[in-house]
Amino acid sequence: MTDKRPLITNTKCECGHQNPVGTVLCEACGKPVDGEEQLSADNLEMRYDGVARRSQRVNPGVIDLVWNFFSSVKIAIYLIVLTLLGSMLGTVFPQESTFLNIDASTYYQETYGTAGEIYYKLGLSHTYESWWFVTLLVLIGASLVICSLDRVLPLYKALTRQKIRKHRQFLTRQKVVLVTELQDEPEAWVARLVKPLQKKGYRVRTEGGALLAEKHRFSRWGPYVIHIGLIIFLLAVLARGLPGLNMDQHLAFQQGEAVRIPDTTYYLKNEKFTVEFYTEEEMPKEFRGTKILPKLYETKAILYECTADCTDPSKEPKLAEVARHNIQVNSPLSYNGLKAYQFDYDLTPVLRSVQPELTNSESGKVYGKFKLDMKNPQRTFQAGPYTLELKEKYMDFGLNDEGQPVSKSPYPNAPAFLFLIRGPDLPAGGQQYFYFPKQVDKEKFQMEAINDKLGGSGRFLELEVGSMSDVDFSESTAYLNIRVDRAMPFVWIGAGIVMLGLVLGFYWQHRRIWLAIDQGELVLGGHTNKNWFGFRREIVSILAKADLTVDEKSLDNGGGLA
Amino acid sequence: MSLLDFSSDVFIAAFFLYSGSFMLYTIAIMGRKWSGRKPEEHTARWGKIAFIVSSLGLVCHLAYFFTRWSGSGHIPVSNMYEFMTFLSMMVMVAFTVIFSIYRKIILGVFAVPISIIVMAYAAVFPQEVQPLIPSLKSIYLNIHVTLAALGESFFAVGFAAGLMYLLRTVNFSSKEKSDRKQQRLVEFTLFSIIVIIGFLGSVFAFRGAGYETVFVRSNVTIDSPGQGDSTIEKVSYKMPPIVAPYHSEIESFQPFLGMKEPLFEAPSWMNGVNAGRKFNTVLWSLISGAILYGILRLAARKPLGRAIHPVLDGIDENDLDEITYRAIAIGFPIFTLGALIFAMIWAQVAWGRFWGWDPKEVWALVTWLFYSAYLHLRLARGWQGRKSAWLAVLGFLVVMFTLVGVNLVIAGLHSYAGTD
Amino acid sequence: MGKARKPVQIIILFVILLLGGYAIGSSVFGGDGKPKEGGKAPSFELLGLDGQTHTLNEYKGKSVVLNFWGSWCAPCVKEMPALQAQWEKWKDQGVVVVGVNVGEDQMTVENFVKLVDINFPVVMDSGRDAVRSYGVSPLPTTFFINAKGRVDSIHIGQLDLGTLDDQIRKLVEP
Repeated sequence: MTDKRPLITNTKCECGHQNPVGTVLCEACGKPVDGEEQLSADNLEMRYDGVARRSQRVNPGVIDLVWNFFSSVKIAIYLIVLTLLGSMLGTVFPQESTFLNIDASTYYQETYGTAGEIYYKLGLSHTYESWWFVTLLVLIGASLVICSLDRVLPLYKALTRQKIRKHRQFLTRQKVVLVTELQDEPEAWVARLVKPLQKKGYRVRTEGGALLAEKHRFSRWGPYVIHIGLIIFLLAVLARGLPGLNMDQHLAFQQGEAVRIPDTTYYLKNEKFTVEFYTEEEMPKEFRGTKILPKLYETKAILYECTADCTDPSKEPKLAEVARHNIQVNSPLSYNGLKAYQFDYDLTPVLRSVQPELTNSESGKVYGKFKLDMKNPQRTFQAGPYTLELKEKYMDFGLNDEGQPVSKSPYPNAPAFLFLIRGPDLPAGGQQYFYFPKQVDKEKFQMEAINDKLGGSGRFLELEVGSMSDVDFSESTAYLNIRVDRAMPFVWIGAGIVMLGLVLGFYWQHRRIWLAIDQGELVLGGHTNKNWFGFRREIVSILAKADLTVDEKSLDNGGGLA
Repeated sequence: MSLLDFSSDVFIAAFFLYSGSFMLYTIAIMGRKWSGRKPEEHTARWGKIAFIVSSLGLVCHLAYFFTRWSGSGHIPVSNMYEFMTFLSMMVMVAFTVIFSIYRKIILGVFAVPISIIVMAYAAVFPQEVQPLIPSLKSIYLNIHVTLAALGESFFAVGFAAGLMYLLRTVNFSSKEKSDRKQQRLVEFTLFSIIVIIGFLGSVFAFRGAGYETVFVRSNVTIDSPGQGDSTIEKVSYKMPPIVAPYHSEIESFQPFLGMKEPLFEAPSWMNGVNAGRKFNTVLWSLISGAILYGILRLAARKPLGRAIHPVLDGIDENDLDEITYRAIAIGFPIFTLGALIFAMIWAQVAWGRFWGWDPKEVWALVTWLFYSAYLHLRLARGWQGRKSAWLAVLGFLVVMFTLVGVNLVIAGLHSYAGTD
Repeated sequence: MGKARKPVQIIILFVILLLGGYAIGSSVFGGDGKPKEGGKAPSFELLGLDGQTHTLNEYKGKSVVLNFWGSWCAPCVKEMPALQAQWEKWKDQGVVVVGVNVGEDQMTVENFVKLVDINFPVVMDSGRDAVRSYGVSPLPTTFFINAKGRVDSIHIGQLDLGTLDDQIRKLVEP
């Protein structure tokens, strides 16, 4: 490619160096390349040390045009500002994703009126997943890559190939300048400066009566390190979406039951869920009796891994415990990339099983006790001489429009069981008996009246629960958020690199001092990327070591553009 | 005396020391033209005293912080009162850091009041020590909140220096169109600050008088066909109601200056019973701010910007530009670490997702993007001086919206961090 | 750098285009991973009332009417006769009706099947795995899956005989 580059004569500097197109300051001596620029007395443009960026070339093709578009800081700033504005728009009303169960098409209109409807119609209710927002992020990513590449290589070249002796104009048009008469012998005087400069951390090179002192050059790489970190961060975020790298589900864990975590071989059991509230004494006086503050949510969880018969639904899986953790809000269970977070809870007790006794209501005789599970119960039971056959089961008993018994939901809110009892003193075909384990349901659905109707007036058998120890409840349900996020380490690496770059770039400054003594005149130019104030102070203190007293302010050669 | 009582005592001491140091900084600057004095000597001497007093204030403030920490058993940054007191402390820390680098006495005149205003704003909120709810029980509360506040405090100092730059450089005597525009913008900025002072003034004045009026509103929500659900909401106004909540009735009304009923009702789009109250507060702030501004204007007999302008005479504007940039450059990495990176780490630990586009998260990102744009404009596009100063002023507005506005206007996961 | 410059630029732009396209594409078309009309029907492995494990794979080459139901759901109960009628009508023409019970136990399902008198295959999704992978929320929901294993259409809510017949006809005679 180099051979095709047209030779434009005015890029050749008077020092003999051939500069590429786009060069502002001669790569070798620092003299402005542009003729008009040479006549100006303004501060020099020191960005990227005045070298040509990669994108600056003549006769750009399509690829170059695209490249140039993304390499422009102006475009980058526009992208930042657009993203900023877009993000702001997304906070006007809550995003759809903040709700678990809403019909977005009507919710916004009903809750926020016309404004809400427009908001929804514009797609702002899912701003951050919208094509234009993602596009903005992608464009920022592209800009990060290309902007950095476009600048970092030329800058690297410029900084590694610095010449010690620069053009006078280069020195006098810096923002820190000192021109003063000096009668001393140049080389000896320059040599006197080396020690104090080194003491301040400068690396010093001299060439006759000229000197270049430089420190903290690494600070110049800060911005590029930040950009690399951001690119890694964005790529990691993108990778999170790849299938298999990410899982996110909210599951209910009834106390005491190992529940399979879908799409994995893991099972999780909620041993016990605890919720605690602050006592009156722990609360400030103003809140007592009016406010309740939670103190602790904790799920004692055990994680199992299935070792055999995992996928075959006709067999019971074999489980082996792999982890155990008391999950709290800020302390998830973590095992092998799988994490379980405390999300919500429900303290409604759920009936699991009862052990009723078959008794004779006339004699008080107890025939026997059996265990009746709510889920997958046994079908026949034996109690003394009586055989009970379970005919029907309703988890949430109710009557449908036709007056027939139905279950209103699959949850054991109002369980009911229809038995056919056979045995002594009963009709040959047996006697039907409706059993409601919960006392409230017995009254609500008039169990006695139903059974009187089914068994006639002479019936004498009753099913009753003897004590509370015969009732098995799950006291609580813990809702856990189960997550797998295999790309997370890269997100943190990216964020860490960003932070490193920020510290490098903002807490150190790249400082350079050029100095040349010619014909009894000392010309000093200094450049830093920030903190000119401290830089000037440093130069003054260094010059003082060589018995040259200067006023801090006098070094200032128009620090700002204002 | 218990630790917590001591804590609130030293807090008050810090407040008065800051106020005192503000006056001393002002004397150090204003007094240099007093007759019979050598301006530089005067400024140096009084500036030194002022810095000692403000540092003493900071010591008291730190004492408040650590005694409250040990008294309550958790770091006092868990509610709006504690956060705002902490923020004001960090503003002073940031000021002290920048001051020790640049030794500009005048910075005290503009930065210390920010801390005082934030402190006064803290006092609007209930001050009791609250026990921590489970989601706040984390080491990341200590790290995330403190670093974010520190970063934002450097932005606050950047704001002060930016405003100083504008007051210094805007040509207040010119009648040119572009200059007039700048004058008006500066005046508007000053007016906005005065409105905040007006807000604080009216809160404390009516609180001191024990004012209260209560409105009730019954809400009927229709859950399912045929089933209406009626809830009664009550809202207590601590300022005389200029505006009543939409569709509400008076339960009790305390007359104020012959005002026996609200002047008007909030429009229907101001849903929510609290929206009316917040609107009322805004109106009072504007009214008292306008009165205060009027008084100051009458006293100065010219626009405030023009009145302050001479105070900054002789201050090197390039130094102010440099201070603005430096404060932001110091604050930016701290802000990134505290408000974004540790926020993400905490969110990952507590909620299982490092980013959820919660309004507070989004606004932290907006703040970050804004200062990124600022830095790019300054470093790569050469925006220095005037434009840069305006951005620093605007940036702090974004910061304050993130800290306060989001809690007031938008509710999200961080809603526990604010009351109203 | 010189000579490699243009190819490097092209490669970088290409990678950006690829990744960016993926990012934007997955935000626009990506969705929640639930099957859509025209998409592939997720596989399942569920215990049947017959005590055997059934998978979608075993019906390969046949059109499948996959009906998610619960005994407590009134519209599910009401559409059962229609499903049974269509099962009898089409079973010899390569169509199979499969009922997926959602989260109930064997006894409930058995009683229900007896009560409404159906004899098409019924499987039990006790862990709600299929519900999740098919993204079913209200019951009943019926998936019409063609012989290639693709979802032809999804019907949410009660089916009547006519619609069911039309849908199956569409499935068999594309």
